[in-house]
Amino acid sequence: MQEFFQLPVFGVFISIIAFAGGRELRKKFNYVLLNPVLLAILFIISFLLIFNIDFEDYNRGGKFISFFLGPSVVALGVFFYEKYEEVKQNLKVFLLSVAVGGISGILTVIIFLLLLKVPDFIIESLASKSVTTPIAIEITKLTGGIPEITAGIVIAVGIFGNAFGPFILKKLGIKSKIAIGTALGTAAHGIGTARAFEESKLAGVYSGLAMCVNGIITALLTPYLLQLFLGSFT
Amino acid sequence: MLKALAYIFGFLLLGELITYFFEIPIAGNILGMFLIFLALRLKLIKLQDVKPASDKLIKYLVLFFIPYGVGLMVYFEIIAAYWMPISVAVIASTVITLYISAIIIEKLEK
Repeated sequence: MQEFFQLPVFGVFISIIAFAGGRELRKKFNYVLLNPVLLAILFIISFLLIFNIDFEDYNRGGKFISFFLGPSVVALGVFFYEKYEEVKQNLKVFLLSVAVGGISGILTVIIFLLLLKVPDFIIESLASKSVTTPIAIEITKLTGGIPEITAGIVIAVGIFGNAFGPFILKKLGIKSKIAIGTALGTAAHGIGTARAFEESKLAGVYSGLAMCVNGIITALLTPYLLQLFLGSFT
Repeated sequence: MLKALAYIFGFLLLGELITYFFEIPIAGNILGMFLIFLALRLKLIKLQDVKPASDKLIKYLVLFFIPYGVGLMVYFEIIAAYWMPISVAVIASTVITLYISAIIIEKLEK
């Protein structure tokens, strides 16, 4: 039976089915913690643990799915071009907001983790926690962290931003929909952007763009900021 | 669709090629994202030639990172040992990031 689970088709099939199932559940019960990706991941992990299947065996098929992260990042460039026209009138303020917000995101997480005496490889895995998963994974591969930890935390950050972001911002006195959208995209990437679209179409567009811009800023700066705080890479 | 896929993979390959030969510390796909944006802006390629493939890829983006999320199970013990500092640092940092980018727009927006 173990050999059966080593067939790549097993990993491919369970990933697709789990994701489709997660989306159906989300449609039925519109509740934020029922995030389709989170549900799919929890389902697959449970399945592997129950049937005693190694992650490596699952990933023989899983890697055919995750391969598409590469072209998807390129596709984000096309998405960015399409939406770019819509923010032109506020471009300078928008870029300032994403840059300052994005850099604060990298710096604060590094500093807090250092103060809490967390091992370096975890800091390297979490420095890019605000940006979209495929970009965050690439950053972690470059800096010597563990991409799987990055993926898990990035998804958690997205769900946190999606669930509580607008509530926190409104409590802190933010009224502008554009401000809420940009903040969600900068801090909580695509999962936050999904929530921004629920606030308004305009908030969603700004959020999607903020996600792309912060992806680029974080990709460019994280290796250097980590080097600054941690010294050479392990 | 085929043409669109060829463009997407072409720019991905170009990005990988540049990072391979010049050893710059940025991932090939991120460079590919930047280059395809530039090519669209400079009108070297047309939006409708790439849009069919890029729309589909973005639609299913979340599906593609599920295997990495599942991979977290291998590191379960590490997360269990450090879940407290990780949660505190990540949540605090996320709230600060949200507030700083929101307040800049709130104050400066015309």
